[in-house]
Amino acid sequence: MGHTTAIQLREEKFVYTDKAKRLSFILMGLGLLLALIGYFTYHPSIEGLTEEQLHHLPIKRLLGSLLFNVYFFFLIATLAIIFIVISQLANAGWYVAVRRVFEAMSEFMPIGAITVFVVVFLSLIVFHGGIYHWAHDGVMESDPLLAKKTWYLNKPFFLIRLAAFTGFWVWAASMIRKYSRQEDQLSTGLTDTRFFDKSYNLSALFMIVFGFTFSMFVWDITMSVDAHWYSTIFTVYNFATGWASAMTVAYLITWYLRKNGYMVGIVTDEHMHDLGKWVFAISMFWTYMWTAQFILIWYANIPEEVAYYEPRMYGSYQFSFFINLVLNFVIPFFMFMKRGAKRNPNIGAIVGTCILIGHWNDVYLMIMPGAMNLATAVTDHNPVGIIEVPSQGVGLMEIGFLSLFAGLFLYIVMKGLTKANLYPTKHPYILESVQHDTGI
Amino acid sequence: MHTQRKEIHYMDNNKMLLGVYDNPDATFDVTKSLVEKGYDVYDVYTPFAVHNLDRVIGVKRSRLSTAAFVFGMTGLVSAVTLQSYTSYFDWPMLIGGKPFLHIPTYIPITFELSILFTAFGMVGCFFIVNKMFWGRNTNVIDLRVTDDRFVIAVNIHQGKTDVNELSSILTKGGALEVRERINEL
Repeated sequence: MGHTTAIQLREEKFVYTDKAKRLSFILMGLGLLLALIGYFTYHPSIEGLTEEQLHHLPIKRLLGSLLFNVYFFFLIATLAIIFIVISQLANAGWYVAVRRVFEAMSEFMPIGAITVFVVVFLSLIVFHGGIYHWAHDGVMESDPLLAKKTWYLNKPFFLIRLAAFTGFWVWAASMIRKYSRQEDQLSTGLTDTRFFDKSYNLSALFMIVFGFTFSMFVWDITMSVDAHWYSTIFTVYNFATGWASAMTVAYLITWYLRKNGYMVGIVTDEHMHDLGKWVFAISMFWTYMWTAQFILIWYANIPEEVAYYEPRMYGSYQFSFFINLVLNFVIPFFMFMKRGAKRNPNIGAIVGTCILIGHWNDVYLMIMPGAMNLATAVTDHNPVGIIEVPSQGVGLMEIGFLSLFAGLFLYIVMKGLTKANLYPTKHPYILESVQHDTGI
Repeated sequence: MHTQRKEIHYMDNNKMLLGVYDNPDATFDVTKSLVEKGYDVYDVYTPFAVHNLDRVIGVKRSRLSTAAFVFGMTGLVSAVTLQSYTSYFDWPMLIGGKPFLHIPTYIPITFELSILFTAFGMVGCFFIVNKMFWGRNTNVIDLRVTDDRFVIAVNIHQGKTDVNELSSILTKGGALEVRERINEL
């Protein structure tokens, strides 16, 4: 409408200070150290388990905590690029000013995908099963519940599709980033839509492929940890977990940048408000998915489905189970509903931290209980061939790997922010985004 | 929130001058200049939202969202009370061997009732605040604002407002028509 004052688009670059770099390295070093200490000092003694069975637990816990931590950050990075894809396809304008934050977050994808692959490879091949019950020698043949799934759940196919899916995502994400950065260099002006169109077309392809492959990726990585259990909504639930975390991370990074004097006049409280709305909305979406999955199983009360919730809700994971709802639903719902809260960096930091801890705990609950279980012979008394191991709690290994990957993630994201201007200066929608106004 | 609402004096005089426009930009510019010159702009009526116009005339943020929250919480409490009273306290019901106080089962109804209370409460609030009841015809400032015209309504204060100057500002800004009207809204 032309009622705003002239907008100054600058070529703004992020400076990654040595002090901030040191923080990442400290987190990484400390995390690795803690995880190693945790591993070598972990000598479980659980009633009813033999010496030989207990011997399997440390490596299971090591692989499990390694996997759920890297999975958490990989989801954040992936859903960051998916946010860009969705906004691009929806022809959204408001997000353009913060687009580079999401692009930088997606820089973690290659290293995340490789680490996921390595951990899965270690589990399946090197440790003959590791955290995946179905991958233990002889389980698929002797277990009548799993025998029919052999065509899908087998080690070569598992590894091939994991590499293919994540490989495609990493490639598509890097191309979307590349188009966006090329635009800054080569675009002739705000009316030049060449790079916008390229990005749009790739986004459409990416969205379709991602929809299907993400489902299978989630079945493989998390759902097959409890191979006997299945839930059709589990993919959407994981999607919501990753998305809520990704929006929260983007929200916090944007506050960090603004507090340090970047993007003045470009990213305003209006953008924070809308990012905050996303955090709030996706947290509610997560709750919806959580409830939908839980309540159907609660109503139907079918033993093979309830077996998943029993150790979590009434067993040794009870605290994690209920704190999950408090951190991911109650706190964002009551603290983040008000308009002023989304525009306040202090409340944003508190709520954001709660959500991130909450979703980390959520991923922990998806993987660790199943990962710690031991495989045994299938008998009439134990038709699933599983010995349940009570919760080993959140210890040095879990915290250590969290710290390691948080440090690595921060380092890569901050490094990614320095690779291009802090906002796309020649994106066709940048002026619309700068003028963005959420109203009174 | 950030802007102060000007006091509207209904009592000392109830006449208004209306300027009718056919263009949102002209409406915006005229409104802005009127506010800057200190005229008491009562309201601006547009067929669609014009960005920033609400900020210029100092519209306060609606408190409807607070009301909605209160209604929602009322719905939540009512739903939990109703269900726990009927299926636990008054007449314990055994459903599929689940606990009598089966809170997870309450979630869908609690969710629905919270939304129902919020929706009805907000609509009711909106009607009351706008004095819309059965049998009462709404008093539209100018019927054409429901189609394609924009109307700026400025309060006239006897002895304070220079009506001639006001009228010329409205006309110079591109008004199709300038007329007086009694403020009975």
